[in-house]
Amino acid sequence: MKLEIGNFQVQHVEFGETSSYSKGSLIINKKEALAVVMEDEHITEADIILTKPGDDVRIVPVKEAIEPRFRLNGGPTFPGITGKIERVGNGKTVALKGCSVLAVGKHWGSFGDGLIDMSGEGAKYTIFSKLNNICLVADTDEEFERHEQQKKNHAIRWAAHRLAQYLGSIVKDMNAESTELFELGPITKRDKKVKDLPSVVFVMQPQSQIEELGFNDLIYGWDTNRMLPTFMHPNEILDGAIIGASYMCCSSKWSTYDFQNCPTIKSLYKEHGKTINFLGIVMSNLNVSLEQKERAAMFVQQIASNLGADGAIIAEEGYGNSDADFIECFKLLEEAGIKTVGMTNECTGSDGTSQPLAALDVSADAIVSCGNVSTLIELPAMGTVIGELESLMRDGLSGGWEDDDVLGPSVREDGSIIMANDSMFCGDSVLGQSVKTVKEF
Amino acid sequence: MKKGILYLNQFFGQIGGEDKADYAPAIKEGVVGAGMLLNNLLEDAEITHTLICGDNFMGSNEEEAVEKLIGFLEDKEFDIFFAGPAFQAGRYGNACGLICKAVKEKFGVPVITSMHEENPGVDMFKKDVYIFKGGDSAAKMRKDMPKMAKFGNKLLKNEKIKGAEAEGYYPRGIRLEVFLEDKTPACDRAVDMLLKKINEEPFTSEMPIPELDRVPIAPAIELSDAKIALVTSGGIVPVDNPDKIQSSSATRWGRYSIVGLERLGNKAEGAYKTIHAGYDPAAADADPNIVLPLDALRAYEKEGKIGSIHDYYYATVGTGTAEGEAKRMALEVIDYLRNDGVDAVILTSC
Repeated sequence: MKLEIGNFQVQHVEFGETSSYSKGSLIINKKEALAVVMEDEHITEADIILTKPGDDVRIVPVKEAIEPRFRLNGGPTFPGITGKIERVGNGKTVALKGCSVLAVGKHWGSFGDGLIDMSGEGAKYTIFSKLNNICLVADTDEEFERHEQQKKNHAIRWAAHRLAQYLGSIVKDMNAESTELFELGPITKRDKKVKDLPSVVFVMQPQSQIEELGFNDLIYGWDTNRMLPTFMHPNEILDGAIIGASYMCCSSKWSTYDFQNCPTIKSLYKEHGKTINFLGIVMSNLNVSLEQKERAAMFVQQIASNLGADGAIIAEEGYGNSDADFIECFKLLEEAGIKTVGMTNECTGSDGTSQPLAALDVSADAIVSCGNVSTLIELPAMGTVIGELESLMRDGLSGGWEDDDVLGPSVREDGSIIMANDSMFCGDSVLGQSVKTVKEF
Repeated sequence: MKKGILYLNQFFGQIGGEDKADYAPAIKEGVVGAGMLLNNLLEDAEITHTLICGDNFMGSNEEEAVEKLIGFLEDKEFDIFFAGPAFQAGRYGNACGLICKAVKEKFGVPVITSMHEENPGVDMFKKDVYIFKGGDSAAKMRKDMPKMAKFGNKLLKNEKIKGAEAEGYYPRGIRLEVFLEDKTPACDRAVDMLLKKINEEPFTSEMPIPELDRVPIAPAIELSDAKIALVTSGGIVPVDNPDKIQSSSATRWGRYSIVGLERLGNKAEGAYKTIHAGYDPAAADADPNIVLPLDALRAYEKEGKIGSIHDYYYATVGTGTAEGEAKRMALEVIDYLRNDGVDAVILTSC
């Protein structure tokens, strides 16, 4: 498969008469953009608010982030989400770089939602502080879940994907400023020189631990809870085949933006043909019961072995219960003689003294650690809040609380906050952006 | 100018050799022996007093020795405490560890010592004390003391600590996140580690697997007269969650009476529900007994299979909950269970 991503580096976003792009400036016709959002009758209220790095702005509750893209082959940018099912990863796609569409609750947050600060101390905790953010702030008529801690956030997440596709379409007829090429031929048809290199697979364990449909990552619109591990081409991941979940503690989450830009896939591509033969993706998942975990790990082992993998990188979107899936997979890959490296975050407690993963095994001797979910983060008030600050403590966000004997409430009257890293929006970037690690002190 | 106090054994405190190892605890004003070197190396602090105790005295009268030494410090003002270096001397290492730990607990000041990796004191005290990696004999004094002093200066100036490996002390079992100075992203660290592993070159895992703390299965008991308690980390609470237990990363637990209850009523009936955010709550809300099996246990009670059910159940939430917090909560619950003569516990998750 051969994927060409035509990039447009957005440096500035503003509203204007006509949606257009020129030399780093993205102009959005707000009315037209909101019309795309309102295509779903379940969106009752919506606004688009722009913010850029350095602004005195806090955004919460953030449910999803998407890079604006448009596929030039005519099909939907997010198959199964913004249109019919169609294979992606081959052909041409345009991308607005340096910006993202954020799905933000006008009032209500849920367990998996997160927080982004656009400047100050808080801005170091997530890559989304460094992007021009096009915030879709909306409310919906999804009354059945309005006061539930676990929300599917369907209407607003889908609307944000439609908006990202609409914004991407602005540059569909323009010449890209730069082009990224991702080309990887069928495994058996590669040059001998490449085949002689150590073969490597990337095992991805996206979040899929809610049995009820609608909460988990979706692959071509299909709920990852209902799948067995399968083989995929890395270009599919980079080109919108998979979208982010509504469930999981937020710093552990992989947003659609993270999948579209997956740094580990890009790093493996860079080494392909030089030091490794990048076979592709073993797309696994994370499970609920032990038998499901064992079955999935068994499939991963089987696929990786039969593809002839010598090495594997495995990354999990979650922690706690899902550490069992991660470790089981690690163990079975090592048992099959496949040299494995794991990518995860840790839960060592705010004092750092707790066991880092819920499951451990001596075979997991090579791990890249991307952060501690329980790190306490205290931040001053910001001038403007996009969304609703109270949601952090009121709505059961994983890193917020209503009250605590020692720490008090997460949100204080003066607008300052104290929270666990858990709710920093996609803060641990286990797909590869993380410049954090965990060290012994 | 900040103030420090140093602990030395009889040898380094210039009392004498092995023949003076029974020397009783003493305090001297100013610096003695090896203390000179430390005092010279401290930047904005001075050693105001030196504690001295014979290694044998400490070894055979631990409690008394520590009590006396701590007593000497009651009326002293100091900002930092040093002991040793103890090199590979086992008794001295033990003494340095003991006194450092006691000073830290009593006065809350930073405590620093140094030992060779084979000194048994390392494993005994590395969790409580900054123990620097030191040489095997007194010949290394001029290497080991500067390490302690350098770190002491850093602590006194409130400088940022870079972690055990970078600073040179033994890891204390405390794992905290840091932003890497060179900003190498995780993707490149992973690929680099993989290439090294494939090529059988040395590599360093960022998360060494800790020693596993396995609990052996308890011996069997006679069930027919046993009092059984139900404890859950599955988040089953009365619907109004009276103890405000957090739905993830819990630090609280609750104790709820089940006297006279045949089974737990569900959320719709306004009785019990789950607040656990780590699993789909639908099934547990519809029937909390699937997480906290009171109904099944009552049936066993009627059949005489078990003696009785403890009058209370205990609940917290296990998702994202740090293992240290879980241990603390368990110890608190165990107090109640012991007082009420519970023989066995059925522990359910989710």
